[in-house]
Amino acid sequence: MGVRSVTLDQLTRLCHDGEWRRAPYPAAPSGFAELDANLPGGGWPVGAIAELMPEAMGIGELSLLLPALSRLACAGRYIAWIAPPYLPYAPALAQGGLPLKRLLIIQTRNAQESLWAAEQTLRCPAFGAVLSWPSAIADKNVRRLQLAAEAGGSLGILYRPTEAAREHSPAALRLRLQPTAKGLAVDIHKCRGGRAGLRLQLSLRAISPTSHCDAVAVHPFTATGS
Amino acid sequence: MLWLCIRLPQLAREAIAGAATAASEHSENSERNLLVQREALDRLAAWAYQWSSLISYATHEPLLWLELGGSCALFEGHEALLARIEAELVQLGYSHICALAPSPTAAALLTHASGQRHVLTRAQLRQRLDDLPLQLLALPAATLAALHASGLRRIGQVLELPAAAIARRFEPETQLYLQRLCAQTSDPRPAWRLPETYSARCEFASEVRTSTALLFPLQRLLLEFQGYLRARDCSVQRFTLEFAHYRHPLSRVTIGLSAPGRDAAQFLTLVRERMHSLLLPAPVNALRLQALEFTAPAIAQGDLFGSDAQPLQQLQRLLDRLRARLGESSIHALQLHADYRPEFGWRSAAPELLAASASSASLAPIAARPIAARPCWLLPEPMRIEPPAQLLRGPERIESGWWDQGDVRRDYYLARTGEGTQVWVFHDRRGGQWYLQGLWA
Repeated sequence: MGVRSVTLDQLTRLCHDGEWRRAPYPAAPSGFAELDANLPGGGWPVGAIAELMPEAMGIGELSLLLPALSRLACAGRYIAWIAPPYLPYAPALAQGGLPLKRLLIIQTRNAQESLWAAEQTLRCPAFGAVLSWPSAIADKNVRRLQLAAEAGGSLGILYRPTEAAREHSPAALRLRLQPTAKGLAVDIHKCRGGRAGLRLQLSLRAISPTSHCDAVAVHPFTATGS
Repeated sequence: MLWLCIRLPQLAREAIAGAATAASEHSENSERNLLVQREALDRLAAWAYQWSSLISYATHEPLLWLELGGSCALFEGHEALLARIEAELVQLGYSHICALAPSPTAAALLTHASGQRHVLTRAQLRQRLDDLPLQLLALPAATLAALHASGLRRIGQVLELPAAAIARRFEPETQLYLQRLCAQTSDPRPAWRLPETYSARCEFASEVRTSTALLFPLQRLLLEFQGYLRARDCSVQRFTLEFAHYRHPLSRVTIGLSAPGRDAAQFLTLVRERMHSLLLPAPVNALRLQALEFTAPAIAQGDLFGSDAQPLQQLQRLLDRLRARLGESSIHALQLHADYRPEFGWRSAAPELLAASASSASLAPIAARPIAARPCWLLPEPMRIEPPAQLLRGPERIESGWWDQGDVRRDYYLARTGEGTQVWVFHDRRGGQWYLQGLWA
């Protein structure tokens, strides 16, 4: 008696609306149209961990993130870089549109401290994104960071070596990055709520060297599209 | 006037944190015990100052007096105030007996009496004293014996004796004592003065070898410190902990906060984080907490609409915790610096905390001068390399620094390595060598 009958018609409409494919997380637009189109919600997963596995350092692994980081920072949230492998070069980041006052560099003495600092910063809602470069990280620790990112509503980025692609990881998004003549090839290795196995070609020249603060169109907490 | 007297029967033992019970008992009232008691009473007096501006203490039988007549109204009646004071004493870990009376002498006596220990008026006091045994009077043993021999058993009977008779039979102090007991004459006490700077010491009976064992005495020191800060209505941004070792110089740890605070729980979190990374050279036998500079309290003021203050406070506390655990200089921000030499084009700066709504205009990077594109990663030091095979862009000539011995003459290029990495290299025109300075990430 109490069961509501759902007609086939209604079901079809539901599917067409894309209601069932809604992104599991709100997203922060990456600033690259091809990438956004293939990520659930249209951007980096906010409140989750994304793993980036570049073939080498210096192929555009930071430029890929800069537009999103700039947007988050301009929306009032802090960005933490935990134990970066080289000196983050302020003039380049400023050229990329990142407000330097919102960027905090945290130095640690060992992997354990880095993990702790990452968890603490991810958990704090004042931070919009936390970047970390663990040389090796256990499955269960990624899960801990994932929970911290959920609690703090921030985007956690782990830079990992390409060999890590062979291991399982609870991260919501895993991308392999390879340099190409024109820019960057992005392999979607895993994508919760989206399609994995795609390869995208991004042209890194698409990043304009102007400030992103002038055009904050999307609030980082709200999902775009459905 | 209304006096609260706190008797601390176990003070000597409890003040020595982590004491083995037997260690101090055989040396009852020794010089060392008196010193320990005085240090503890000094800390407690500073702690008690938050409720009363008239504090006094006696060292031999550890007693602490607070004049509460003026504070009761402020703290919603004496019952509520007493409950607060006793709750904090429990937290500090001291056994205590509290009594309330119109005179300090009577309050001290009542801490030894059984039954009702709270007496508010002179009439109630007289009534309460009536049935109490003679032995409670703090008079010389000979005087008490003489009174007992006269057939007197209760304090009430002594108080009924004519004053002239007592004055004739006993020393003049006896009559004065009885008058003070009944709050009939002035009962001055040496008023304890709140020191301008804070320094509290705590000694251990046996050497403490683990940092977890240090946490209890630390917590007590911090709670007492919080009382002092409340008493002075001020906050601190920096305080020092000193660990004393046998035959080793002191170890000193400074705890800094990004904003002034006076919350013992917050202090304890910071200290605990710091203890994680602290390596002490030897076991600890005493601890000192010191603060020299104080600031007006930072009152958390919310603005009319925004709730910006709270995330900012969260951030402040997080940064304090990170600093305490990772080191004072572990967090920094980046700043542009006007210098043509790439390695001097930036500076590390102290993080500046901004509200979430800080306008984007104030955030926008200051484009000091148009420069060519720069790489995101810089190597700590330029690295000597073989001449690169493939130069993609350049040269960009940089000649600068002749004024400070950092003279450079370089041609910069964007180059590509075999692995597809884009690098920033320069040709040193003075030495003719090639160097790698950055990665185009």
